[in-house]
Amino acid sequence: MKGIRGISKLSRRFYAAARTGQSLTQPLAGLKLSPGSAHFYQDVHVTRLPSGLVIASLENYSPASKIGVFVKAGSRYETSENQGVTHLLRLASSLTTKGASAFKICRGVEAVGGNLSVTSSRENMIYTVDCLRDDIDTVMEYLINITTAQEFRPWEVSDLTPRVKMDKAQAAQSPQIAVIEALHQAAYKNALCNSLYCPDHMVDNVQSEHLHQFVQNNFTSARMALVGLGIDHAVLKQVGEQFLNIRSGGGATGAGAQYRGGEIRLAGLSSLVHSAVVSQSAAAGTSEALAFSVLQQVLGAGPHVKRGSNTSSQLIQGVAKATTDPFDVSAFNASYSDSGLFGVYTISQAAAAGDVIAAALAQVKAVADGGVTAADLTRAKAQLKGQFLMSLETSGGLLEAMGTQALTEGSYSSPEEVIKKIDNVSLTDIANAAGNFVSGKKTMASSGNLIKTPFVDEI
Amino acid sequence: MMSVVARSGVLTSFLRTTNHAVKSLVLTRAKELVPAAAPGGIRLGHTDVKIPDFSDYRRTEVTDPKKSSQGSSEERRVFSYLVTGASTVLGVYAAKTVVSQFVTSMSASADVLALSKIEIKLGDIPEGKNMTFKWRGKPLFVRHRTEKEIATEAAVNLGELRDPQHDKDRVQNPSWVIVLGVCTHLGCVPIANAGDFGGYYCPCHGSHYDASGRIRKGPAPLNLEVPFYEFPDDDTVIVG
Repeated sequence: MKGIRGISKLSRRFYAAARTGQSLTQPLAGLKLSPGSAHFYQDVHVTRLPSGLVIASLENYSPASKIGVFVKAGSRYETSENQGVTHLLRLASSLTTKGASAFKICRGVEAVGGNLSVTSSRENMIYTVDCLRDDIDTVMEYLINITTAQEFRPWEVSDLTPRVKMDKAQAAQSPQIAVIEALHQAAYKNALCNSLYCPDHMVDNVQSEHLHQFVQNNFTSARMALVGLGIDHAVLKQVGEQFLNIRSGGGATGAGAQYRGGEIRLAGLSSLVHSAVVSQSAAAGTSEALAFSVLQQVLGAGPHVKRGSNTSSQLIQGVAKATTDPFDVSAFNASYSDSGLFGVYTISQAAAAGDVIAAALAQVKAVADGGVTAADLTRAKAQLKGQFLMSLETSGGLLEAMGTQALTEGSYSSPEEVIKKIDNVSLTDIANAAGNFVSGKKTMASSGNLIKTPFVDEI
Repeated sequence: MMSVVARSGVLTSFLRTTNHAVKSLVLTRAKELVPAAAPGGIRLGHTDVKIPDFSDYRRTEVTDPKKSSQGSSEERRVFSYLVTGASTVLGVYAAKTVVSQFVTSMSASADVLALSKIEIKLGDIPEGKNMTFKWRGKPLFVRHRTEKEIATEAAVNLGELRDPQHDKDRVQNPSWVIVLGVCTHLGCVPIANAGDFGGYYCPCHGSHYDASGRIRKGPAPLNLEVPFYEFPDDDTVIVG
């Protein structure tokens, strides 16, 4: 009968009404789950504390947890007096702190089978620690010590000099590192021109006071983000409130990067010439930056099939017509918070260097003149989306994505939103971006046997 | 929005640099280069090392990896300590035996020790007769005394002796007197069954001894020396 049916439907209606306020992606609070019950899917949670510290975490129920402290203390914030301090700071992560000696940190992290490392780019310094999720309290203590309670004992700092030299020697082995460091040095007048490695004249001269000063000015709550994978958000928030609220204020603001455009030639004996020709592109986060990223994929940014013939890369196809010697060319794209670099990176035989560079630049000009088809654009977008999504598959990549977004924007945009933005890039955006490169002031850095390599004003 | 440092294709890894403070596991097929001198501590875990199966040598109580070994720890410990303790005791005893054997090997050998004793068959000596044996380089008198001699010696007044000793203090069995045949005056050998007292007479300076070997007349100051002897049975005596 209708009446009885209505009554049963009524109870269901009440049930549904009671649950509308509860998000289905957050676990019910106060509920004690049995160990064997299924886990609830969780989103990335981001909280901004009043001091400016941003806390982001994702509970992915992984058996291993990863915690990162992201600080806006990259090499761009070095001043002329303390060049190379970030290199020392990277190496100083294993030194004695107020709460734990160097031996205790090393022994403690090893005892739980964890890893502790610090990565620095020009913008950020990232302290990462990972271990099994039951041991996270132990290593968290060490991480807090390393980021907030450093002592930088003078004799320990001076003991780092051989490791600085070793790092530099190993970086010198790689021509790509040499060219990219030289590129930045030539392209900018300040901030972004600072190298990731300590300059030669400062190798023995970075003292404990420089490190203290740099940390005082840059390791402030407003410039830090605490990010965790495989950890509860409430736990991380408590840690952040208790321990990382040490220095308030924004710290010393870094100077805006000024692009100048120049050239550095690193003459050498190598028969392979590495050369990068770039010009200024857009700051990260803008739609132009996204257009440059898609343009990078249109032109070709590395092989997608191992030992394949790279048929999808326009640069490679264009340069292949100019020379038969072995070569490699890819589009170079780097975006920073207020500037960016976009161009081509070529590796060629010494005699063919000029031809290769000219052919590569001609290809970019062809794109600027509208030589890109819709199929190319779709392919490039698919490659960019694929690369982006696959980078989120590893815990390291996901942590880095969460951390850099938390640090720069204070929020996390889901991969779906990013995919949508990529889809919105049009052919005109690509053409404009390529045109910006063609018409912009060029910067060039080359290394190897440079007899046939053109100067920046000749290309 | 895309990350701050946009993907730069193959060159992404060169826009940043990493130093490892502590790296706990580097697989032999790791793609990421770990600079040799940079980390504070590196522990390498090789996955190609095969650990042999030691189950033949393991105790049965601890073979199960899922069970805690605390339950059997008491008995395992007691057993181990007991075995160790017993071995220690045996070892100490063996050491002591070996050492004492080596040390006693330096003492007198058996042939030397054998020369120091003499075994005499008493059945060969008739009553009243005195036999002389060479013992330790000196003459040894063994005299089978008659009843009359025994009674005489026992009745001697100790006041008239130069070296007062009662007969029973000088003999274990009254019918046998065993003395060294060396005169206590200047070392001559007395003659048996001679002299005024029915014992011995030293011809060098005229010392008279009685049937118990005591000095009675003459220049000798002491009685004849009585060595250590024992009767293992009625027919044998071992002197020395």
